[in-house]
Amino acid sequence: MRVLRRLFGLAEPALSDGPGLDDAAQGRQRKWVIEPVRVGFVARAQELWRYRRILWFFSERRIKERYEDTTLGKFWLFARPLMPVVIGTVIFGRMLEVPSDGVPYFLFYLAGMSCWRIFERSVLWVTRSLDQNRGLIKKVYFPRLIAPISSVAPAATEFGVLFILLLVAIAYYYVHDGVFYLRVGPQLLVALGAVSMAAFLAIAVGLWTSVLQVRHKDVQYSIRYFTQLWQYVTPVIFPLSSIPERFRFIAFLNPMTSVVEMYKWALLGIGEFPGAELIAGLAITLVIFATGAVYFTRSEAASVDRL
Amino acid sequence: MDSLVVDGLGKCYMLGRESEGKSTRSFWQRLRSPLAGAAESTSGTRQFWALKDVSFRVEPGTILGIIGPNGAGKTTLLKILAHVITPTTGRVVGVGRVVSLLELGAGFDPDLPARDNILMNAAILGITRHEAQRRIPEILEFAEVEQFVTSPLRHYSSGMYLRLAFSVAIHMNPQILLADEILAVGDSAFQERCLQKVAELGRNGLTVLFVSHDMDAILRICNRVMWLHSGEARRLGDPEEVVDEYQNAVWSQADIGQSERGRRSNRLAEILSVRLVSAAGRDIGGAPASEDTFIKIRFRTAKPSLSVKCALDLSTKGQLIFRTSDEQARRLGEAGVYEALAKIPRDLLAELPYVATVGCIFKKDDETKEYPLVIYNALSFLVFATEQPDLPASGRLDRVGFIAPKLEWTVREEVPVARA
Repeated sequence: MRVLRRLFGLAEPALSDGPGLDDAAQGRQRKWVIEPVRVGFVARAQELWRYRRILWFFSERRIKERYEDTTLGKFWLFARPLMPVVIGTVIFGRMLEVPSDGVPYFLFYLAGMSCWRIFERSVLWVTRSLDQNRGLIKKVYFPRLIAPISSVAPAATEFGVLFILLLVAIAYYYVHDGVFYLRVGPQLLVALGAVSMAAFLAIAVGLWTSVLQVRHKDVQYSIRYFTQLWQYVTPVIFPLSSIPERFRFIAFLNPMTSVVEMYKWALLGIGEFPGAELIAGLAITLVIFATGAVYFTRSEAASVDRL
Repeated sequence: MDSLVVDGLGKCYMLGRESEGKSTRSFWQRLRSPLAGAAESTSGTRQFWALKDVSFRVEPGTILGIIGPNGAGKTTLLKILAHVITPTTGRVVGVGRVVSLLELGAGFDPDLPARDNILMNAAILGITRHEAQRRIPEILEFAEVEQFVTSPLRHYSSGMYLRLAFSVAIHMNPQILLADEILAVGDSAFQERCLQKVAELGRNGLTVLFVSHDMDAILRICNRVMWLHSGEARRLGDPEEVVDEYQNAVWSQADIGQSERGRRSNRLAEILSVRLVSAAGRDIGGAPASEDTFIKIRFRTAKPSLSVKCALDLSTKGQLIFRTSDEQARRLGEAGVYEALAKIPRDLLAELPYVATVGCIFKKDDETKEYPLVIYNALSFLVFATEQPDLPASGRLDRVGFIAPKLEWTVREEVPVARA
């Protein structure tokens, strides 16, 4: 128990009152302490909550800098995420004739991709987050966790774009084929849950990779291949039903399987609700997050020295 | 109650194989001089104490000046107090909001306009959006950048950047202000206003930690002064006494600590110091681009009737920009202390940090042999501009290259050459 308390920082709340933030509204003059002790995750999380307002600034900045200096600004916003879906549809749907659980392959793939994209892009950006915020991190104090968390924002934007495209595609198929593929109902909340879980898992993975990337630049080069590989063991291109029964256990080890399956089940009503996989996936996600959070907060000081 | 209590503060960096990244090495270079004292081992990593066992207390309203040669740990101390880096040993207890001016434009996003930057800074310091918005006009007015609210900060001159940074800092109601050499940049009129403002806020209970190489400024506004040397607090006390003692030490033993290579004394003479001074002869930490500045080399001769010829190399970003030397050897009289001044004309250098390497060649009148002295990287300084920015589109074009001389331009219609 003591180990846990130490790990999660329940024991040392003193540093959470770091300089920089005081309760301006009440005009109270907070006393703060700086010590060499490592601060645990819970103390960091509390601090993060007090600083929550700057999350917005960081998120906004991340999104703006993506599209600011492009001439076609808004066009890229839609084109970038859509391009791989169109290419994938042609290759996998038309040429390889991958099955798609009875819905048009384009819809199947677009739905899978929109959910996968928020995970993949988040992992990439969160990994680079400490580097990208180097200028601020080395000069002013704010909870360092803000850097990785705010990096989910551009990925969330891309998700929003893909989701809009998905709705457009559904409308198109309704007009054209007369089939309305969207399942309207309370289970849409499950889709929201799936997307949140994808983002959460991305942060969990990113807590590890962002710190590792400061130490080993190799991470920067390999992370792309890592996420690509991960995509191939996630039912985005192919339906889970096309995997032979004896390989299904792999799905249990990959939390993204249940996320993507759950998402497609909720939106398009295809596949099955992944019950057991979801529980396994949640457990694995929580383990990655908990260890990542401890790792991140414990190596925070050393990472800043290295940046 | 003290507003800041620092107890046994130390910061140790592990240097060597494990952290041989690019960023570490440049950090390394900055701290080269105190490394003479760092433990060296063959295992590839070594410990380097940037700050060792520093303790002091500051009462509210104190303006504490922090002086010392480059690499003495001044910036490390401020960064720890600003909560940017974590100390290795010791403890700091403080009261109230800390605002830091660690470096020019630190905490600003060059792509955002002044307004957004103010709001972001305020948010980081825990000030509500509403409150911050209320203060924006005051901040812009003090910084004298009202006309440029909408242009992104990358179009600002360094002087405007500084004015905005300082103005933001003091309008955030800090209880503790950390200022690192920042007032070295900026035109003298604004420097004056800053110093007055700092002194005024000090009287109202603001605690200021003020790092500077400008002894005049230190003496004018500080109530106490701490002299850091190789990470240790060598003296702490009355400004006049500490500054006197520090300057004596600097003058007498040549504080050209940044350089280990080179040769600073021989049997004829010894170079005592290399400094950047203004036209008025005042030590300055940065050179305003629009004013003449001087590099002053002080040396002591051991023999009478010598002649000397001085030269200097100016480099930036590791590139040698030019080498220049005195046109002729100058005759010196009795043995004693002399100073050589090289004028850097205004509107020559760009807004960059420069490093000067100086050399002096001494010759006895009755000998043909020459005795050269060279001090590598004897002086580093920042050149800053104070003028207003150009039109946004052309603003960036103006800041390319290693020097920024003003040339005489004429544009006229071509006179056609008459053909026979």
